[in-house]
Amino acid sequence: MNDTFQSTKGYVASRQLLDSVNVAIALQKPLLIKGEPGTGKTMLAEAVAQSLGKRLIVWNIKSTTKAQDGLYLYDTIQRLYDGQFGEEGVDDISRYIRLGKLGEAFAADEQAVLLIDEIDKADLEFPNDLLWELDQMEFYIHETKRTVKAKHRPIVIITSNAEKELPDAFLRRCIFHYIDFPDEELMEEIVRAHFPQVEETLLREAMAAFYEIRSFRDVRKKPSTSELIDWIRALQIGGIAPDRIRSQLPFLGVIVKKDEDLETIRHKV
Amino acid sequence: MFAKFFHTCRAKGLSVALSEWLTLQEALEKGLAGSSLTQFYYLARMILVKSETEFDKFDLAFEECFRGISSENEIADRMLEWLDKSEMEELAQEDARRFLNETEELQIDRQDVEEKFRQRLKDQDSEHNGGSFWIGTMGKTSFGNLGGNIGGVRVGGKTGYQSAFAVVGARKYRDFRDDRVLDNRQFMAAFRKLRQFSARLDVPRTELDIPGTVDRTCENGGFLQIVMEKPRKNAVKLLLLFDSGGTMIPYSSLMNDLFQAVHKSNHFKDVKCYYFHNCIYSKLYKTPECENGDWVDTEWVFRNLDGDYKVIVVGDAAMAPEELFSDTGNYRGPNGGLSGWEWLRLLKRHYKKIVWLNPKMAPKRMPWREAETAIGDLLPMYRLTVEGLNLAMTELMRGK
Repeated sequence: MNDTFQSTKGYVASRQLLDSVNVAIALQKPLLIKGEPGTGKTMLAEAVAQSLGKRLIVWNIKSTTKAQDGLYLYDTIQRLYDGQFGEEGVDDISRYIRLGKLGEAFAADEQAVLLIDEIDKADLEFPNDLLWELDQMEFYIHETKRTVKAKHRPIVIITSNAEKELPDAFLRRCIFHYIDFPDEELMEEIVRAHFPQVEETLLREAMAAFYEIRSFRDVRKKPSTSELIDWIRALQIGGIAPDRIRSQLPFLGVIVKKDEDLETIRHKV
Repeated sequence: MFAKFFHTCRAKGLSVALSEWLTLQEALEKGLAGSSLTQFYYLARMILVKSETEFDKFDLAFEECFRGISSENEIADRMLEWLDKSEMEELAQEDARRFLNETEELQIDRQDVEEKFRQRLKDQDSEHNGGSFWIGTMGKTSFGNLGGNIGGVRVGGKTGYQSAFAVVGARKYRDFRDDRVLDNRQFMAAFRKLRQFSARLDVPRTELDIPGTVDRTCENGGFLQIVMEKPRKNAVKLLLLFDSGGTMIPYSSLMNDLFQAVHKSNHFKDVKCYYFHNCIYSKLYKTPECENGDWVDTEWVFRNLDGDYKVIVVGDAAMAPEELFSDTGNYRGPNGGLSGWEWLRLLKRHYKKIVWLNPKMAPKRMPWREAETAIGDLLPMYRLTVEGLNLAMTELMRGK
């Protein structure tokens, strides 16, 4: 089947995650993804787009982002300049309407994958301001009295780090998936997807050390998937002998970022 | 039975809305549950539950409704009950037949399917006159093929899932429940609730309003017209009072986390922090060690930190009632001739918003925790968990 999402070469997803994506696509609802940092929330959208052969449109949310930014911007300043220099077409407002990321996804000629990344970074009201647009897949441009309607409902993937509670009304419209921290089996698959040529003993030793570090209760910031991958890359480049990995923990700074954690681990090992 | 699941979810404290329920129905009609209870479990969860903190509640509800199904004896009966009540009975014969074939293959392939289960399937055939139809029905309805698949799941997962009940039984999301005691990051997230942007009328317009200026300038035909606006600053001031030492020692790392979180949350207008031992008396200590002399007068605090400060008291309120109500206070530090109870009442009179966070709050009014009950009656008291902290922050922000 071509229209369902499957793990790609570079992205290994659990069965439940694949299903969540496919259910969200089938029901035409936004998919809300939560999970520990570094479990591949953002990469999911890339993988979905790649697997389905669709264009990916990324809308990165910052603390200052407003819902309006995603729809369209009326570039008044450009219009002002043009007006002062007597450019032509200043009376045509539509020339100064710039579609935002959501607008871009709506206007696309083919179905696109829209990633709304880290939605919880924005103001508390932000998700609510998008309810209508995500439900109806259309919005109205006041300045030109034009309605932008999605030609093809984009596949919407939303990630959140749970910094803020999202409003109920918004949540009710989403399909929700929580990315669990991968177990060793899945983790091995993920690492292999990144390093097909990885040396067996190196992989085994690094994974063992990684899970051991994660199991220490007093480690404050537990390392995650992306850090393990960086670490293995570092170990490979550094040409570290696998038997030294667990005893000496080379390049520990790659997986453990806090000073006090480094000390705790050094102390224990 | 299906409706019962809805009500059980709600009874377990999941706020499932009708719209979500309809979405689930739609998903089932589209056959997205595939053919197994396990897939149904994940499907229902991804649609009905919107936070990992509620997975555990969902697991419990699911278990309560469908537990019986995991034992063979009840599969068929339950399924029939299910089919009767579900609204998706119409079946397409070819689908039904296809499923029947699948089921047969399944049974042949799987030699390790328990004998008992097969026996049961046969029993069903005879009981219900025409097993093919019966199973066929199941093939069409989203749950129907449950029977076959439960077997599959039991045997070891054709789908690659863990069995739903293995998942439910493990209760692996228990730690995400929002009534567990929390960590630093969650503290910070909760403190973000404490925001109140000042909209006071007497603040001068000192900030350049750029979009406003641009708009007005454009309207003005390109001649500059500057618009100023009032600065938006968080007006919340916080006074933290920590119980320190004694019965609080087991919670010291939790207290440390809370303290760190407040200091990292730099959006407050002002944060003041003092310590006390067991209950508040006439002195508040500047350090957690509560050394004699290293203190300020509680009355000085009242005078200097006005009633607009929002007060968070963190303590276990574990003391003998004699201590709380005694005029002589406790063994540490002076009490100014007033009992701890009187001091708390003074605190309450002075500050408009006070909450008490308790890391080991008794679930109900326990007779042996008389002091806690008394304080809980005087000041709103919350358990120091994600849920409790959020409730407390909401209480602090609520208007009178």
